Amino acid sequence: MRKLFYLVLLIAVAAVSSCKQDQYYLYNDIGRVQFGPEPNRIYTTSYDLADTLKPYTFYYEDASVKEDTIFFDIYAIGGTTKTDRIFTLEQEQIPNALNAVAGTHYVAFNDPKVSKFYVIKAGSVHTRVPVIVLRDASLKTNTPKLKFKIAANADFQLGEQNKLWRKIEVTDRLSQPAQWTASFTQYYFGKYSVVKHGFLINSSGEKWDNDFINNLYAVGGLLSYYQLTMKTALINYNNAHPGAPLVDEFGEVVVFP
Amino acid sequence: MVVVAMMTACKKDHSNYDYKTGEKITVKGIESNYTLISELDRLTLTPEVSSTEPNAQFEYLWGIYETNVQGSAPVLDTLAKTKDLNYLIKQAAKGWVLVYRVTNKTTGYSQYINVPVNVVTEFTRGWYVAKDDGTQSDLDLFLTPTGIVPTGKRENLYSTINGSKLPGQANLLSFLSAYKSTVTGTLGNTRTLVLSTDKDVVTVNVNTLKKIFTLDNLLFDAPTVKGPCQVFPGGGTAYYLINGGNVHSIVNISANIGKFGGRFLKDASNTPYSVSKYFMSNTSSNAYFFDETSSTFFGIGSGYGTALSSISDVTGTSMSASNNNQKLLYMGLKSGTYLPSPALRYVFTGCAVFQDKSNSSNKTLSNIDIDGYTMKLNNTSLTTADQLYNGANMTLMYGQENLMYFSVGGNQVWSRNLSNNFEKLEYTVPTGEQITFIRHKTGTETGYAYNYIMVASKINGTYKIRLFNKASGSISGTPVATLEGTGSAKDILYISPSVSESTNTIQW
Repeated sequence: MRKLFYLVLLIAVAAVSSCKQDQYYLYNDIGRVQFGPEPNRIYTTSYDLADTLKPYTFYYEDASVKEDTIFFDIYAIGGTTKTDRIFTLEQEQIPNALNAVAGTHYVAFNDPKVSKFYVIKAGSVHTRVPVIVLRDASLKTNTPKLKFKIAANADFQLGEQNKLWRKIEVTDRLSQPAQWTASFTQYYFGKYSVVKHGFLINSSGEKWDNDFINNLYAVGGLLSYYQLTMKTALINYNNAHPGAPLVDEFGEVVVFP
Repeated sequence: MVVVAMMTACKKDHSNYDYKTGEKITVKGIESNYTLISELDRLTLTPEVSSTEPNAQFEYLWGIYETNVQGSAPVLDTLAKTKDLNYLIKQAAKGWVLVYRVTNKTTGYSQYINVPVNVVTEFTRGWYVAKDDGTQSDLDLFLTPTGIVPTGKRENLYSTINGSKLPGQANLLSFLSAYKSTVTGTLGNTRTLVLSTDKDVVTVNVNTLKKIFTLDNLLFDAPTVKGPCQVFPGGGTAYYLINGGNVHSIVNISANIGKFGGRFLKDASNTPYSVSKYFMSNTSSNAYFFDETSSTFFGIGSGYGTALSSISDVTGTSMSASNNNQKLLYMGLKSGTYLPSPALRYVFTGCAVFQDKSNSSNKTLSNIDIDGYTMKLNNTSLTTADQLYNGANMTLMYGQENLMYFSVGGNQVWSRNLSNNFEKLEYTVPTGEQITFIRHKTGTETGYAYNYIMVASKINGTYKIRLFNKASGSISGTPVATLEGTGSAKDILYISPSVSESTNTIQW
């Protein structure tokens, strides 16, 4: 009986001591800042980590286009203020990766050309963050990565830990659009490859970029239409090249599920 | 411990001990349903309202919401907040529900009255005839305001409203009750007539007779071949388009904008195919096609997939469903039967007439049993002694007698009992007339019921469609009515607010 008493006591002590209140931010201490999805998605938890990575390619743009702007959404937490507040961004080096170089692949975050926009206006808690990517000749053969994060400053401390960074992969080649998602891969067009992407573009005359893929979902029946017509085009290509089916850059035969 | 147990055992009693009889609000003066013409009729109602509560003070709300909505929740549109209603009906022609809410402000108790309202136009009821002049097609409407027998006619209605006729000779006329369009400004179900020809096809809003899409924009891309076309509904709310022997579908249970998808593949090698204009399909099960190139049956379920599904032979079949070296002279459905548990699916019986590709003098009548993607053909050889051997304009009676109707010699209407092969001369059209189609169609709407065998003929640039009652499968007496107009009639369909895409099986 005594053993049972001690056992129950031990469990009770363990249960009590294992509990610890999570240190949530109450959002009412100081101003903090963090990235987030587009404003219409902020109350949809499944979009909490949307837009963390935005691939970008100059591939579709005219040769005269030398730079372009990619936008992210950033939010102040802790309420509004009566004055403008500046937030600070800085690059974070990614180990064992080709990191983007300021002035070559993007406009540095402290360059007034962009830093002047890194402001949460008085009375507001949201702004769009422009990042200017540059069309360097090296992008024809490389896809450098730009990971950047929020740095604390006089106006803002840091927000939630997993919402402090964003990443861009910039290239001048065909690259996997962000909207070529896992479900797009699994249910519609299979594993991404540049060869497959190029085949889709050549067969349909469409860009197959983010806007195009978004439109496939938006127009009822259009996704199924392209799934069928592109599958047909691939069969016709392979029929026209007996013994030499379309093979991607990984050496795998291109297929649509 | 005892104190704790006693405290938790206590619970405040919130029971209702008021045994007064519940309030009853009575509304008189509202019919059980209304049929009204859009933009013409007013809904004028002066209901009497009373309550069992002596000091009741009422407030009122009239609203209306649409039925047959897919993809969105119906929204109650407030019409008035007065006791009486005097409202000009502006809603689109379709089914609606009128809601009258009476609330006793004193007690907060509300009584709801829900009344079906059929909003119609002059185009939403009558016999539609698909016709052509040899090169272009049009629609005539025979008006039936008081009964199934027409009392008026609107000729060339499609071209009158849309400014031009549809290219080609008319084929089938079909009806889709849940076709998606934006004719009302928002995407929604649209009661739609589909006129098919050998060169084109058009979807038409039956409320206004205005065209929605023609072949040029009915698919996501302009087709490389234009016709012959047929459109018809299939099981799983799928719609099918045959264009130039190619099969396309709309999976209507999924989001869509009323455009047909890509051409179905025959197989993983994209082997060429060309399906016959004859098919077996209705809203209860798969659709079945016959590839004239390979003499092979194929099926599609619910419009899904990227390739036609092959059909397996059932043991004992007279002829394989695949590569049987036949040319299809006719095919249609006879019946659909729902199998009890555990099967819980429809099986079809159909009928086909084949001509051997190697020896064109060999013709075969085949009764077909279909279960999913299996098929059994029970063949009977036709000889020159059979009237059906030289038959044309064949048709079947879906869900009724096991008979096939067909024409012989251009002016005779024959029936053939498919159980015992007995053939009977049913009717002969007057000299000079040439039969252009025979159809059997039915309707059960109160006041508009019919069960007609319809024989269309042409003479001197005009058509006659004789509507016959049917008795024990045979033509009964003289025509109930004869519809007449210019051109050559190719199909007929009765449309009313109660007609849906499952009312009649669309087939030749």
